[in-house]
Amino acid sequence: MSAADLAIDVAGVVKRFGSLAALDGASLQVRRGEVYGLLGPNGSGKTTLIRMLVGLLDPDAGTVQVLGRRLPDLDLLARVGYMTQQAALYPDLSVEENVRFFAAIHGHQDGVREALELVDLWDRRRSEVATLSGGMRTRCSLACSLVHEPDLLLLDEPTVGVDPQLRRQLWDRFRQMAAGGRTILVSSHVMDEAERCDRLGLIRSGRLLAEGTVAELKARAGVERLEDAFLKLSEAAAG
Amino acid sequence: MSTRRIGAITRRLLQQFRRDHRTLALLFGAPLVILALLGYVLRGGGDVPRMGVVDLDGGPLGSVLAQEIERSSAVSASGMSQAEAEARLRSGEIAGYMLLPADFSNQVQQSRVVAPEVRLEGSQPNLSAAILQATSQSFTVLAGQAGVHFTPRVSYRYGGPGFDTLDYFGAAFIGLVVFFLVFVITAVAFLRERGQGTLERLMASPLRRPEIVLGYMVGFTVLALIQAAEVLAFSLLVLHVHNGGNVLLIFLLEALMAIFAVNLGIFLSMFASTEFQAVQFIPLVVVPQVLLSGIIFPVSTEPGPLRVVSNVLPLTYAVDGMRNIMIKGADLSWSSLQLDLAVVLGFCVLVIAGGTATLRRRVA
Repeated sequence: MSAADLAIDVAGVVKRFGSLAALDGASLQVRRGEVYGLLGPNGSGKTTLIRMLVGLLDPDAGTVQVLGRRLPDLDLLARVGYMTQQAALYPDLSVEENVRFFAAIHGHQDGVREALELVDLWDRRRSEVATLSGGMRTRCSLACSLVHEPDLLLLDEPTVGVDPQLRRQLWDRFRQMAAGGRTILVSSHVMDEAERCDRLGLIRSGRLLAEGTVAELKARAGVERLEDAFLKLSEAAAG
Repeated sequence: MSTRRIGAITRRLLQQFRRDHRTLALLFGAPLVILALLGYVLRGGGDVPRMGVVDLDGGPLGSVLAQEIERSSAVSASGMSQAEAEARLRSGEIAGYMLLPADFSNQVQQSRVVAPEVRLEGSQPNLSAAILQATSQSFTVLAGQAGVHFTPRVSYRYGGPGFDTLDYFGAAFIGLVVFFLVFVITAVAFLRERGQGTLERLMASPLRRPEIVLGYMVGFTVLALIQAAEVLAFSLLVLHVHNGGNVLLIFLLEALMAIFAVNLGIFLSMFASTEFQAVQFIPLVVVPQVLLSGIIFPVSTEPGPLRVVSNVLPLTYAVDGMRNIMIKGADLSWSSLQLDLAVVLGFCVLVIAGGTATLRRRVA
């Protein structure tokens, strides 16, 4: 695989916060156009890794390349969408005003309607975000992170606190976007949504334990369920 | 009513404060600092107002009186010619002078009238009052002359008997109000940006740090300018605060204050992690400036070390500038106003640079 085919190329990245190593030599490669799931328990380093991919954190060691460019690179960020774990929005602005703002700071003027229709919020576009339910805020936040039509979308646990119906809806959107040529990296600790990814990376204690398609991971662990595969592979790595 | 439930709330509050060292330090430290500062300003043995004595009297009484006032501990008086006195009055070196006319001794002996001329600079009421008091006290040496009436003829270079307290303090407070409110609003707004996570989103976008700071600055400056215009219009049209200068100049200075306050708010919010902590900056930033910027106590009479502090506070220059314009009618050709504007502008640049520099570090 050539470097041009990679949307994300992380090699041996270390990040310490005091004595805690949040990332301890993590490496992963995400191909363009795939939906990559970063799977791991709370505190395993998922968020740290994603924040590093948008240049919010600098690695203590190792290299990070995004869309073929070395970070930090502010102009590159115009092609990256980032959805934070909590729905980071301006509660006193309307849905549409929020989306328009995030479009503008990425240098985009249009696409607001498309983004809001994608997450089924066009009808609520005039509502203040403070009046929205949790699920609607999540969708609004998603609209904000993809309104500038990024080539790479980083979603940090986008479906936490989202009901099953909406979760399915969101995943359908993710698959649509990937089909349209975008690369998506989703972090999660929920196994059933991991099954919908093209490839998975299992992360634990700041290290990538295993990588592959769902079928590959199951086969490698010799088990039926992904959850068991995850547990078995972590034990194997620890032992 | 359950005392146990009430007790639970009380205990929880105290537990929270136990961990919040910054708040505790403020709660128990700030009152002492503020009171100590106030005590030092008032009792610190600062300089007394400086005044001149112009003795044109041919008779003996003039020099008696001149010596008496030069001995006074309430003012620092020294003899000088009238031309010199007027020049120093204009430059602000002396807050006033007493002129004893050529026929002073004659007047006292023949008409039983003590009628010196007292000329005051007039822009700072505390100084004027001190000089008037010292002059009238010095006349007690003439009390031996039975039935003497003390009728000084007081004239003012700026201000005057037509001025009331509001005219003197209004000028300073117009600047202070804008500075204070804009500072608080910006600091809290910027922290909200961090608290709700949107700052992280901004930092993960192509936005440059100076773009964020400048965007904030322009946005809040627009609000601040509207506020400044409102404050100014209300002060001049409704309260009829005296204004001898150009309204546009006042507005210019207010605008600079607003820009300074916005950026100070952004800069200081970098050092707080919650809105609660940001509010704690208010007494630290505002109280010393109110005490030391010459709004209430003239900088020229402060104890030496405090004068050094006053001279590096931006509000000192803003207040001086406001008084220069509104009371003295200064325009841009005045070097003292040029200095005031330049210093406030300099502070603006300083906090813009500071806010930009600390932004990245604090978001990660």
